[in-house]
Amino acid sequence: MTYLNDLISSRELLVNLTAREVKGKYRRTVFGQLWSLINPLATMVIYTIVYSFIFKARIEVGNPSGLNVYPLWLMCGLLPWMFFRHVLNAGMTSIVSNGSLIKKVYFPRMNLPLAAVGSFGFTFLIEMGVLLIALAAFGSFIWPWLPLVAVSIVLLAMFATGLGLMLAIVNVHFRDMQHLVSIALQMWMYLTPIIYPLTLVEEAAQKVNKPWILDLYKVNPMERFTTVFRNFLYDNTWPDWTDMLYIVVAAFASLALGYFIFSRNEKRLAEML
Amino acid sequence: MSDAAVTVEHVSKKFRMYQERNDSLKSAVMNRKKSVHEDFWALKDVSFEVPHGQTFGLIGKNGSGKSTLLKCLAKILWPESGEITARGKQASLLEVGSGFHPELTGRENVFLNGSILGMSRKEVTRKFDDIVSFSGVGHFIDQPVKNYSSGMYVRLGFSVAIAVTPDILVVDEVLSVGDATFQKRCRDKFAEMKADGRTVILVSHSMGTVRDMCDQVAWLDRGELQVVGPAKRVIDAYTSTV
Repeated sequence: MTYLNDLISSRELLVNLTAREVKGKYRRTVFGQLWSLINPLATMVIYTIVYSFIFKARIEVGNPSGLNVYPLWLMCGLLPWMFFRHVLNAGMTSIVSNGSLIKKVYFPRMNLPLAAVGSFGFTFLIEMGVLLIALAAFGSFIWPWLPLVAVSIVLLAMFATGLGLMLAIVNVHFRDMQHLVSIALQMWMYLTPIIYPLTLVEEAAQKVNKPWILDLYKVNPMERFTTVFRNFLYDNTWPDWTDMLYIVVAAFASLALGYFIFSRNEKRLAEML
Repeated sequence: MSDAAVTVEHVSKKFRMYQERNDSLKSAVMNRKKSVHEDFWALKDVSFEVPHGQTFGLIGKNGSGKSTLLKCLAKILWPESGEITARGKQASLLEVGSGFHPELTGRENVFLNGSILGMSRKEVTRKFDDIVSFSGVGHFIDQPVKNYSSGMYVRLGFSVAIAVTPDILVVDEVLSVGDATFQKRCRDKFAEMKADGRTVILVSHSMGTVRDMCDQVAWLDRGELQVVGPAKRVIDAYTSTV
């Protein structure tokens, strides 16, 4: 627990490191922070053209919200995913890329991956803010669900942080990890119902009469997160309680394990780098 | 016993020298066997005490373990065995300007670096003018630090570090930064810290500096403590072997 005290007493450092990431990222760019919005917008346009117009992906109608807009439906799943991906990547590389700092000054090292979470959390919140406005403009009655959306964001951040902390340590030992993870993340995204609806997987499993495919598919915690976010934002309804329970357990388990692994290895980081 | 600022008890530090290191997944999986390494003891059973309010020097040849010991004191490395106890707020200065972000301005970096070194925002705000005037960067403070001359860069870094006002300061060969004027200011600052009853532990190769500044000196050779005692005696013993 002393480590936790150390970490808590250095929270101002965490704020400053986060600010360094946020401010440093878009320095000397004309659009500055706007880039963090342009990026997901561009992705949205690309996916909408490819999947909605070319592949004619089925448009899910929000129940009971009645929404029928592919880009909005897409973004409800894509934004959380992008946040997750960024936290994993930045958390993983945070130790290796700050090697010079770790070798010269003592501070609780966990601040580095946490600052990555903070800086991407900041952009994620802005993106979600814009999405909320767009959803409201198209008739989604999101306001009563906002507290639950906030809870889901916290859970997602916990889940991603835990994985990021584990990967940060693994990446110090095996630098291949970053390359492996970028491939794994790509596969993971397509194994998650972000650009296509879950009902397609359900139907496919039914067609071949192997319902276990769907069960296996739903082991993926990101599937649950995506479904929960869509339930709140796009459908305006309560998620299945098993989904909710699943993401709570996944978030706490991931964070606890990540914290444990990181704090046990932190003292050796300076010489491992 | 407990009036010492820092107690070093039977500290040993081992490094692994890898002949074959499994630092990629492929080699870890393919080799199966554990990676091959030899142990190298950078510090062997070192014990001494640093009294309160004194300036303490560490001397020795290259590779004698001075820097390893200093990093152990600074909590960057953790000894395999033994214990280091520091009584009081400790700050270390192994490199100036570590953690500076090149794109951020001097002002932003002062706050960032201050918090890395353990100062609160309030504390930095209070000391901000002192930091800037000590560094002598003047109106460049609102420029990104990547545009600084290397001298300005280290001076600003040093000024932040010195503003921490710890009870115990651990310093590595940083007195050699800046021009003569700045060096003089640093020396005055160290004298002032000493007058305030703070403890300074420093590593230096310059015997002149050590002789001028230190009360006590420890001489390390190949990881083992040779002599510890009053500065003049230890320095004389050391220089007679060189």
